[in-house]
Amino acid sequence: MGAWRWLRRRWDVLFRKRGVEAELDEEIRTHLDEEIRQNVQAGMSPAEARRRALVAFGGVERHKEEVRNVRGARVLDDLVQDVRVSFRSFLKAPAFLVAVLLTLGLGIGANVAMFGILDASLFRPLPYPRADRLVMGRVTWNGRVGRTVSGPDFFDYRQQSSSFEDLAAYTPFVLRATVTGGGAPERVRYIYASTRFFRALGVEPVLGRGFAPDEGELGGPRVLILSYGFWQRRFGGDRDILGRSVTIAGIPFTVVGVMPRDFRFAVDVDIWVPLQRGGAWAQARQFHNFILVGRLADGVSVKQAQADVDRISESLAETYPETNRNKGLNLTPLKEALAQPYKATLGVLVAAVAVLLLIACGNVAGLLLARGSARRSELAVRSVMGAGRSRLARQLLTENVLLALGAGVVGIALATWLQRGILAFVSMDRLTPVKAGVSLPMLGFALALSVLTVVIFGALPSLRVARVEPGADLQSGTRTTGGRAATRARNVLVTGQVALTVVLLVVSGLLLRTLRELRGVDLGFDPDHLLTAAVQIPSTKYPTSASRVEFFRELQERVAALPGVEGVGFITRLPVRGSGGNVRVDLPEHFGTAGVFGKMADQRTVMPGYFHAMGIPLVAGRDVSLVDDSAATPVVVISKALAESLFPGEDALGRTVGVDVGEAEPARFEVVGVVGDVVMDHPANGPYPAMYFPYPQAAGTGLDIAVRYSGNAGAATTSVRGVLRTLNTDVPLDEPATMHDVLGRSLSGQQAIAVVVSLFGAVALLLAAIGMYGVLAFQVSRRTHEIGIRMALGASGGAVVSSVVRGGLLLVALGLLVGIPASLFAARLVGGLLFGVGATDPVTYVGVALFLGAVATVACMLPAYRAARTDPVVAFRTE
Amino acid sequence: MARTDLLQGSLDLLVLKTLDLEPLHGWAISKRIQLLSHDVLEVNQGSLYPALYRLRDRGLIESEYAESEEGRRVKVYSLTKKGRAALKREQASWRLFAGAVEAILAAG
Repeated sequence: MGAWRWLRRRWDVLFRKRGVEAELDEEIRTHLDEEIRQNVQAGMSPAEARRRALVAFGGVERHKEEVRNVRGARVLDDLVQDVRVSFRSFLKAPAFLVAVLLTLGLGIGANVAMFGILDASLFRPLPYPRADRLVMGRVTWNGRVGRTVSGPDFFDYRQQSSSFEDLAAYTPFVLRATVTGGGAPERVRYIYASTRFFRALGVEPVLGRGFAPDEGELGGPRVLILSYGFWQRRFGGDRDILGRSVTIAGIPFTVVGVMPRDFRFAVDVDIWVPLQRGGAWAQARQFHNFILVGRLADGVSVKQAQADVDRISESLAETYPETNRNKGLNLTPLKEALAQPYKATLGVLVAAVAVLLLIACGNVAGLLLARGSARRSELAVRSVMGAGRSRLARQLLTENVLLALGAGVVGIALATWLQRGILAFVSMDRLTPVKAGVSLPMLGFALALSVLTVVIFGALPSLRVARVEPGADLQSGTRTTGGRAATRARNVLVTGQVALTVVLLVVSGLLLRTLRELRGVDLGFDPDHLLTAAVQIPSTKYPTSASRVEFFRELQERVAALPGVEGVGFITRLPVRGSGGNVRVDLPEHFGTAGVFGKMADQRTVMPGYFHAMGIPLVAGRDVSLVDDSAATPVVVISKALAESLFPGEDALGRTVGVDVGEAEPARFEVVGVVGDVVMDHPANGPYPAMYFPYPQAAGTGLDIAVRYSGNAGAATTSVRGVLRTLNTDVPLDEPATMHDVLGRSLSGQQAIAVVVSLFGAVALLLAAIGMYGVLAFQVSRRTHEIGIRMALGASGGAVVSSVVRGGLLLVALGLLVGIPASLFAARLVGGLLFGVGATDPVTYVGVALFLGAVATVACMLPAYRAARTDPVVAFRTE
Repeated sequence: MARTDLLQGSLDLLVLKTLDLEPLHGWAISKRIQLLSHDVLEVNQGSLYPALYRLRDRGLIESEYAESEEGRRVKVYSLTKKGRAALKREQASWRLFAGAVEAILAAG
């Protein structure tokens, strides 16, 4: 009953205010009337009676206020008043408001953006049913986790393991082929996936079915499954697509299913083709082309499954010692495995935005301190007027919370934009696709973060400000006293900001230098004015080796005849544009001795003239030639490094090498030429030993083309395309790009992270400079009196300037003192992202220190000059 | 007749006691306290009201409207059961407190 009454009273107080007030009025009036009546009866005049009664009562308003306090009507009133006062004071200092909102908003926005990215890519579960049961299987060599597993090994694991509901395999590299018929020829992206692939992931096709077991056996029906996008794009979403035939690389396949619209796994493809036991890519145990994905059986843990496959690995090693010794399979939860390559990048970004926020908070704290000092007199007046200390503190807290909310709103507005920017640079599409947008968790995070930062960094200044002494503060002279603690606090803040900025600048400097180093790597060939593209011919039209050789020979001749073309080369895969596949090569006599055979080499097939067109030097012997056809001796041209390692100190020409092709005997080739070393896939990996086979002896249906042109790349592309079309209208020129573009794309990851972190560094520097400017300007204004005296006594303007600048540079020096060791630590953490520069690269550190010093000097100049122009007379007048 | 300012807690106690004798409205309570204390204590009449509302919030007294002899509407306060129990408790602890103070003052 008491609770009900309490509740009802609170209700009355809040919502029936006027009624409640009226009652109180009435009650007090009655009281006074009684007192007056008594006084009149005692013989006083009505006026006197009234006066006496009021005196006896005490301050009516004051007591009414007390009652209101007791009844808690104040709370809401106070809040509303606090908010109104806050807005008024914000409007009076718009610069302050804008500064705080923008600074904090930027810091919060960046963090919310990163949080959103992390949430979508790492925190949220994968979009497959019961995704926590999914694991990725990768090969291990001597215990170290590698990447791809071999086909026959996969089939053995699948057959012998009882830990999986389903175990599947897929090719982690995207293959391309040309689709013809039913429209213009089009290059499509496809991968091989084992028959249980979709079932393991738990995703049903939206049309048709998954693969059937017999489609996974060699010689089984040729089928494929379409992606939703491809189905819409090429077939217009035709519902009769099932059972239709689609020709790829000249071979007809039957469509048996279409995957749902949002389905995506690891890589974006148009088509899935079933992996056949013993078929393409899965012929031999020493060719490792697949990554496994499995769904654990109910009740089986990852550890148990790992133990199970370890057992199988051991038995495989015993049965096939040549290919499976020291080889195993590692199982990692799928989510973790997919995220691994991004961990370093994401880590750097998260750290960078956190540092940015800290610096922004430093600025805001400094601003709040400065404002606090400036408002001392205002607060003193209010305190005298009756506001208690807790009341003042509450009002300041309200202000801070309002600032926090405002900054949070600004932050969220910026977050979407920042997120899009970050994603545009740093692509993470191996993970589940991240769409920019504000999500509910992000909003919650933003709110929490903004309140937290303002409360922490605003509380201290507010508490200090609330400790107001009206007497001292209302007198003049406040600026010479009481501000010292605030100044010291701000100095500490600036020093901290400088230190943090140093860390960001050093890391971005290292990343930028990494980028430069990567760009400067000697590729082994000349990348200038080199047009690259791919040409794929249908095997149905060109069934024989001879017909294919003829096609490319003709193409080469015609393109070389074009005006402005200085060279044409053909190779199965151009360096940097793609990798060629590794083989094991050694002297044939070493073959068979288990474990000894083999140096790894990148193998590619070339047409004559390739080396010349690419600017790769011929070191010894000759180029491949059309004479090296299927009737002639199998020959090979090897790179210098490979020659050195196979025939140290000897001449490689004329010698025979053996290549492991998965059979009992190695394939033998005679070395007819040695060429310079070339970067084969990524500049960071440096040159790689390579073997080049003559195209006539290994004529496949696709070759990359490289054209050395002069003039405009677009024009060159058009001409080459024109030539190709005259030879065969069904053969498109695929993905033409200049070699510089291709290089740029391969370095895009490093470029992205370097650019993004540098941007953060630049913003941090700006904020720190602003913070420093603010502190110095404030100090100067505080010491106007002192400066005036000094100038009156004869100090020159220059001396004043230098003293101010020196003060600022001292802060910078302290900041460097703290920041450099911190940077060393941070640099070591990002060591994995660096190339060509060490974590302790002195050039970077010195450069950052000088750069920071220069910016700081500029930031100090303005207040310094203002100090120098102090009119001593004015200075004396101010206090 | 020394007039002493009352501490807040003591005022609450006095109000409770006064109402224990009979329900009264605000003005009458202040007069009654003055009377019972033989004019020693003259409560600053205004401070009575915050005390009344505080006690009412705590559930120790309750109020209702009644008609005075002059026909005016007055708010009359009375003790609740909870208030009666609190009064007994406060009285006991006050006596303890006063006794202790007295003992100290009487010493030496």
